[in-house]
Amino acid sequence: MKKKTISVITHNLLIAFLAIFWLIPIIWLLVTSFSTYPGMNTSTFFPENWGVDAYKNLLFSADSVAQFPNWFKNTFIIACFSCVISSMFVLMVAYATSCMRFAMRKPLMNVAVILNLFPGFLSMIAVYFILKTLGLTNNHWGLVLVYSASSGLGYLIAKGFLDTVPASLREAAYIDGATEFQVVWKVVMPMSRPIIVYTVINSFLAPWMDFVFAKIILNAGISDQWTVAIGLYNMLERSLINTYFTQFCAGGVLVSIPISVLFVIMQKFYVEGITGGAVKG
Amino acid sequence: MEKVKAGICAFFMAIGGFFKRFGEAVVKGDLFVKLSLIWVGAGYARRKQFIKSIIATIFEVVVLIYSIGFAPKYVSKFGSLGTVKQESVFNIVTMKNEFNDYDHSFLILLISLISFVIWIVAAVAYLHNVIAVYELQKKAQAGEHINSFVEDVKELFNHKFHVTLLFLPVAGIVIFTIIPLLVMILVSFTNYDQKHMPPSALFTWNGFDNYINLFGGGGLTITFGYAFVRILAWTLVWAFFATLTTYIGGILMSLLLNNKKTICKKLWRTLFIVTIAVPQFVSLMLVRNFFADSGIVNTICANIGLTGWLRDMGLIGTSFIPFLSAPGWAHVMIILINIWIGVPYQMLIATGVLMNIPEEQLESARIDGATPRQIFWKITMPYMLFVTGPSLVTDFVKNINNFNVIFLLTEGVYVTTNQLMANSQAKETDLLVTWLFRLTQDYYNYKMASAIGMVVFVICAVFTLIAFNRMIKGDREETFR
Repeated sequence: MKKKTISVITHNLLIAFLAIFWLIPIIWLLVTSFSTYPGMNTSTFFPENWGVDAYKNLLFSADSVAQFPNWFKNTFIIACFSCVISSMFVLMVAYATSCMRFAMRKPLMNVAVILNLFPGFLSMIAVYFILKTLGLTNNHWGLVLVYSASSGLGYLIAKGFLDTVPASLREAAYIDGATEFQVVWKVVMPMSRPIIVYTVINSFLAPWMDFVFAKIILNAGISDQWTVAIGLYNMLERSLINTYFTQFCAGGVLVSIPISVLFVIMQKFYVEGITGGAVKG
Repeated sequence: MEKVKAGICAFFMAIGGFFKRFGEAVVKGDLFVKLSLIWVGAGYARRKQFIKSIIATIFEVVVLIYSIGFAPKYVSKFGSLGTVKQESVFNIVTMKNEFNDYDHSFLILLISLISFVIWIVAAVAYLHNVIAVYELQKKAQAGEHINSFVEDVKELFNHKFHVTLLFLPVAGIVIFTIIPLLVMILVSFTNYDQKHMPPSALFTWNGFDNYINLFGGGGLTITFGYAFVRILAWTLVWAFFATLTTYIGGILMSLLLNNKKTICKKLWRTLFIVTIAVPQFVSLMLVRNFFADSGIVNTICANIGLTGWLRDMGLIGTSFIPFLSAPGWAHVMIILINIWIGVPYQMLIATGVLMNIPEEQLESARIDGATPRQIFWKITMPYMLFVTGPSLVTDFVKNINNFNVIFLLTEGVYVTTNQLMANSQAKETDLLVTWLFRLTQDYYNYKMASAIGMVVFVICAVFTLIAFNRMIKGDREETFR
């Protein structure tokens, strides 16, 4: 019995050790954000003087470099719009390919497989020029379009879920004289709440997590137009890092809190989505 | 392979069938069907579908105006991509310097391409229209009911709902994925770079020159071939190790966490998830400064004497450990940091899969006296590989294109000392995609960037197709059910 207790303790100690190891940078982020020293503290792990100056400066005294409230607002607006559009697109494509049967279904799905092989990132140069021709660079609408326009390609996880909704339910509704639109609205959607939550959170998070597209589209250097990602990235430029590092940490903490909450909610759908899709093949 | 062949066959059969139906419609159609070859609204007007007829006519007029009034100005120059250079000319009437009527090479390329897409779509719609009108004629002759406009719209929400559903997403994909992709393919065959930037300069076709340069031709002064081989090798090494280490690490961590001995599994799992819930631009930028040349880790290492010891060993020649600023060190550190950021993801997935292992299989194995080790290697691992095999392939491709990790960790920190790499704006730690990004963003070298993009695509596509073919070969779908 005693031997077993020891093995349980060592086992949990091992996990605790790993967890601490994994959390060291995050803890560093947290404690540094409460430092009163504006630059990077390189001599000790914990700050020497504690205070909330960084948060105060970040939230209430915006300057030409740090415009966190603006960035947060920009990102939030972009995220809301692209979330609405891309969730709709994903669910529309998923329903059409999963529940309806039409001649072009298979060819379209095959084309989607090939297009998915091509990382969206690579066509960025051309997208940039198209947006520039349309006058949509350095413009939040351009960014919304970039995030949401081709989101239909990411329909596979949602389709995998809709495939599990029994066809008999829909057939019963058809027999009762329901149109396809009514079937979607009254039968399938109410049953698909988990996948809707997953899709919505996923497309809401994309603009918060993204760095590349925002950097390419909003390249004019007007800091109050930026998203959180480029704003915080810019704070760590070589000439700025010594005055803004603590504010960067504070900003990082402030962004991470809402995102972490959403991420933890989404996490169980995430696993179901990936493994579920794979099992069905 | 058979499946692909059958697919290609079916595709061409479908196109053949489409033209056959068009021919039949033209031959057997009445006067109005034949008239719709010129006026697309004719057939609908004959069947009293006036609104549809008007809409079709408007479309026809718009396409014609576009094709005659707007497109030729650009498409006619597609062969040369423009010949008239931008010049500032003094205008006597307005007394100001004005630009001449110059050619904009990129607009010519883009608008020509868009015109081709529009014309292909219009041609298909045109052929389809004739067929549809002939169908109407057949219906009228058989005395069947012909839909009114309202009924047609209602159909779009009923049996043709997929058209409504797919229209916008497909349009989005065409404009934001397919057209950019084609533009990129075309640009990789031009000399579009900093010296040839529209509107002030023209660029033109240069055949396969960019690819020749990329693959080591093009003379001694061009070092793209050298940089390409180095970066390609590192990209593949990186993708291999990044995928393998996080995959194995994820499985191990998930086994550790889901062990019976673990107390409060949920708490531990959430702690690990926190690291991936923090956006990468925060966590990676932070880690980068954590390991900076004058960063906190270096201070600690110097204090405990590790730096001095390494210097005595001759492993470093500097007063700090160049975690992210020297070749070799940086490569290893990037892979290690990627383990930190990638293992929790894989742990989540592995947990989901492990929970789905059919309990009876494990039970019967235990009854047969299998040791935990045997169970792991004979049941858990094969099952795991079967379920996550496809995602392993996509992970590899994702890592080839893992822009974030490399860019956020090394940009501005790592400076190459290798002159040959620097000549082609590359660094030892670059992946093909970060190289591409730097070429476009900082050096406006669009021609090489496009060529690199094409190469990345080909590598990813070939790898995926081979891997999936291997995996799907021999129907293993039923093995674990």
